[in-house]
Amino acid sequence: MLLAVLIANSEGNILVERFNGVPAEERLHWRSFLVKLGADNLKGVKNEELLVANHKSVYIVYTVLGDVSIFLVGKDEYDELALSEAIFVITSALKDVCGKPPTERLFLDKYGKICLCLDEIVWKGLLENTDKDRIKRLIRLKPPIDF
Amino acid sequence: MAAPLVKKDDDRDEEADYSPFLGIEKGAVLQEARVFNDPQLDARRCSQVITKLLYLLNQGETFTKSEATGVFFAVTKLFQSKDIGLRRMVYLMIKELSPCADEVIIVTSSLMKDMNSRTDMYRANAIRVLCRITDGTLLTQIERYLKQAIVDKNPVVASAALVSGIHLLQTNPEIVKRWSNEVQEAVQSRAALVQFHALALLHQIRQNDRLAVNKLVTSLTKGTVRSPLAQCLLIRYTSQVIRESGINTQTGDRPFYDYLESCLRHKAEMVIFEAARAITELSNVTTRELTPAITVLQLFLSSSKPVLRFAAVRTLNKVAMTHPMAVTNCNIDMESLISDQNRSIATLAITTLLKTGNESSVDRLMKQITSFMSDIADEFKIVVVEAIRSLCLKFPLKYRSLMNFLSNILREEGGFEYKKAIVDSIVILIRDIPDAKESGLLHLCEFIEDCEFTYLSTQILHFLGNEGPKTSDPSKYIRYIYNRVILENATVRASAVSTLAKFGAMIDSLKPRIFILLRRCLFDNDDEVRDRATLYLNTLGDGSVSETDKDVKEFLFGSLDIPLTNFETSLKNYVQNPEEVPFDINSVPREVKSQPLAEKKATGKKPTGLGAPPAAPISAVDAYERLLSSIPEFASFGKLFKSSAPVELTEAETEYAVNVVKHIFDRHVVLQYNCTNTIPEQLLENVTVIVDASEAEEFSEIGTKPLKSLPYDTPAQTFVAFEKPEGVPAIGKFSNMLRFTVKEVDPSTGEAEDDGVEDEYQLEDFEIVAADYILKVGVSNFKNAWESMGPDSERVDEYGLGPRENLTEAVNAVINLLGMQPCEGTEAVPANSRSHTCLLSGVYIGNVKVLVRLSFGIDSSKEVAMKLAVRSDDENVSDAIHEIVASG
Repeated sequence: MLLAVLIANSEGNILVERFNGVPAEERLHWRSFLVKLGADNLKGVKNEELLVANHKSVYIVYTVLGDVSIFLVGKDEYDELALSEAIFVITSALKDVCGKPPTERLFLDKYGKICLCLDEIVWKGLLENTDKDRIKRLIRLKPPIDF
Repeated sequence: MAAPLVKKDDDRDEEADYSPFLGIEKGAVLQEARVFNDPQLDARRCSQVITKLLYLLNQGETFTKSEATGVFFAVTKLFQSKDIGLRRMVYLMIKELSPCADEVIIVTSSLMKDMNSRTDMYRANAIRVLCRITDGTLLTQIERYLKQAIVDKNPVVASAALVSGIHLLQTNPEIVKRWSNEVQEAVQSRAALVQFHALALLHQIRQNDRLAVNKLVTSLTKGTVRSPLAQCLLIRYTSQVIRESGINTQTGDRPFYDYLESCLRHKAEMVIFEAARAITELSNVTTRELTPAITVLQLFLSSSKPVLRFAAVRTLNKVAMTHPMAVTNCNIDMESLISDQNRSIATLAITTLLKTGNESSVDRLMKQITSFMSDIADEFKIVVVEAIRSLCLKFPLKYRSLMNFLSNILREEGGFEYKKAIVDSIVILIRDIPDAKESGLLHLCEFIEDCEFTYLSTQILHFLGNEGPKTSDPSKYIRYIYNRVILENATVRASAVSTLAKFGAMIDSLKPRIFILLRRCLFDNDDEVRDRATLYLNTLGDGSVSETDKDVKEFLFGSLDIPLTNFETSLKNYVQNPEEVPFDINSVPREVKSQPLAEKKATGKKPTGLGAPPAAPISAVDAYERLLSSIPEFASFGKLFKSSAPVELTEAETEYAVNVVKHIFDRHVVLQYNCTNTIPEQLLENVTVIVDASEAEEFSEIGTKPLKSLPYDTPAQTFVAFEKPEGVPAIGKFSNMLRFTVKEVDPSTGEAEDDGVEDEYQLEDFEIVAADYILKVGVSNFKNAWESMGPDSERVDEYGLGPRENLTEAVNAVINLLGMQPCEGTEAVPANSRSHTCLLSGVYIGNVKVLVRLSFGIDSSKEVAMKLAVRSDDENVSDAIHEIVASG
């Protein structure tokens, strides 16, 4: 299960937060844990350079893209490698939507589209689509070209 | 929104001004949502409002029931619009709102229409939304369409239906299970993602049917799997099949191993890694099987991608627990990871190296770690400290450098948890390695000279009080202890006073000087410190009231002989219902609640393949000793030699849970039956165990101690005592029957009826075996201990152990038979070795030290031969050990 997708700005404010199968009372804890993890480790990291951590049986893969930091949390079959696959899809979809690694402003400008992309990529904790060109078409309700 | 895009490095405040969501407020957005009701829909405007709503929801904002209903109804109006972008937003919005059952009806017809639309994308999205919000009854109506969708030629539609199926399987399994033909067809799909989703769903549908899973794996491993993701799933399912089927005994081959091995050459890294991990987790994996997997993991160690490095080192770390030798090839690569930027990777590398390192590499490794420790966070440091602790227990001869390392890091900056881990480690090393005691205590003393944690200071002072007086020169510790009285806070001062008193009680020569120090404490400004000083001065004989030496020691060193949780409960009860009579400590129940049933069930549930390291043994002996000595009937039996681990006499989840602990004395054996009544409607009284010892001829029953009453869920004990010939390791088999009077309990009032019925309950048999008479006591340096025993008492003989699966099995069998402590890590047999030497030590009944050297060899027909050499203080004991092996 992909437990959480969290996108924050450079100051640690949450921009997008989607939890799956995480009890409501634990979400705040996760949020602050991830934000702290980012604050401790993401300084000076290059765009899309992946960082990885694990906490008990849960894996975390996170990175920076422009002004935003992206965190994925998963367990069981969503281990560090599956998460890195998923985060790759998310970063490429974000770059696609924003045209470049986004500033916070650009991210918020494209917020609706980004939500649609995430909806196509992760559905209730399962990875659904992995190809950015397909996602680009799907959010405009266009069928994919390739099969 | 005409503001120019700001550059990243512009002023932050300025940038915030431009945020499109600046000052966004729920009430206002809900007002804006009214545009959804306009007769002339403005699609662009509606999309913007939905974006705002999504932003709110994604920020963790929640809508009340009526707000959500209002938004939901408004959103459904948007189905009238033909704007594609807006429609996509509407789908997402409905899913996010997840309306309740009675509202769903509003959108079902619109969604059903979309589901049969000619536009593929409408179909896919409508399926996802419908499945998200649907319940069982609606599902049966749309089932037909879903089945069609699974085999739809558009992969997006098929995937949408399949992923919906995975979710619906949780809520409506019986419906989804009917789709297996379609799903089976989808598994053969040419579209990679469809195959991936179909495989996941098919496996979930069939996961309880082993044969079906086996067939699925067999056919797919021969066919083509297009997506790497699906390939990973297949590898997981394959290893599950392998786990359940075991090794082919005729050829010695493992089914599907070739498939896993071929995956190591796949082009996708995730498949390679998955296969490598699956191989390392195979049960009883051989070196030959392991080698190719280790080789690819080793390549990953030097990958440029941190995720791969992390995955590889994490897997190797696990392998190192069971097959340290297999991982040693990677040591050079792993050493370079110590300086990895990612601290998780570096820590894993260090702890793996600590597991695989041999005695000679310890010093070099410690040097590397020292430089590494300064720049990692506390939580990683704790992991390293724990790894060093186990390394030290493995190589006791290296205690000096490891202890020095621990004391060095103890002096550096660090938080409480970290310091506590170090102190705990030093304490454990002092307990387990006698040679390390003096230097360890001094390190602790130096630490408390400058320790900011009251908890740790008091713990160390307590420990020092127990261990310090037993050292060769106890007086050197006094300075450190008395410094605490001068320099620290009241809690630490009080502990220091107790510690001083312990030294005074144990060492007569120090007593007068201790009195001087204690008298100074009488002027302390804290009353607890003054009280303690007064109390100890009097008990130790400085004042008018003086106690006997035995009482003093009992008072100072004896711990509270009642379980603290029970004590706490009793005190709480007393405070809640105050009585005239003062609180009586003897009224606190002494029964320890046994392990909850739930935990018992959990064990052995999931085989991990690698096997978790055994749990640390808990010293229950003290508790048993106190419990037994509090029973007058057993007080004359003398000193308790050994208490066994509890042996379960009932299955889990039966009406009554009973286990037995065997207490061995010189001339007696006491059987302690721990009973738990798991039926709330019953009260058991006069509970005894009727023991049939006809198959244990040397034992004669001399008494029982029945249990008066056994209420629901309150564990309690009944005892049966036997006499046996002195010092003889008598063995035998015991059959047991639980006998009791059962009374019905009214669940509403909790009161039992007056009349009861006699009843019996059959328990399982158990045996007293030779191992019950040998204490597991390790020695720090086996070679020295062996040579100091001298060859006179040595007895050597050879035994054939018959055919065995491998040497590990043979070694474990002999260790279990003798019940002795394996030394220097020799219980671990390197995989596939043909011969092995195992060193054991222990104390035989009558307090006779025994050392055993076992040499094993296995031939090509798997016949195991063993040479057993025994040395002990008493040659009769050496003979006895041989007898145990000969008759076992």
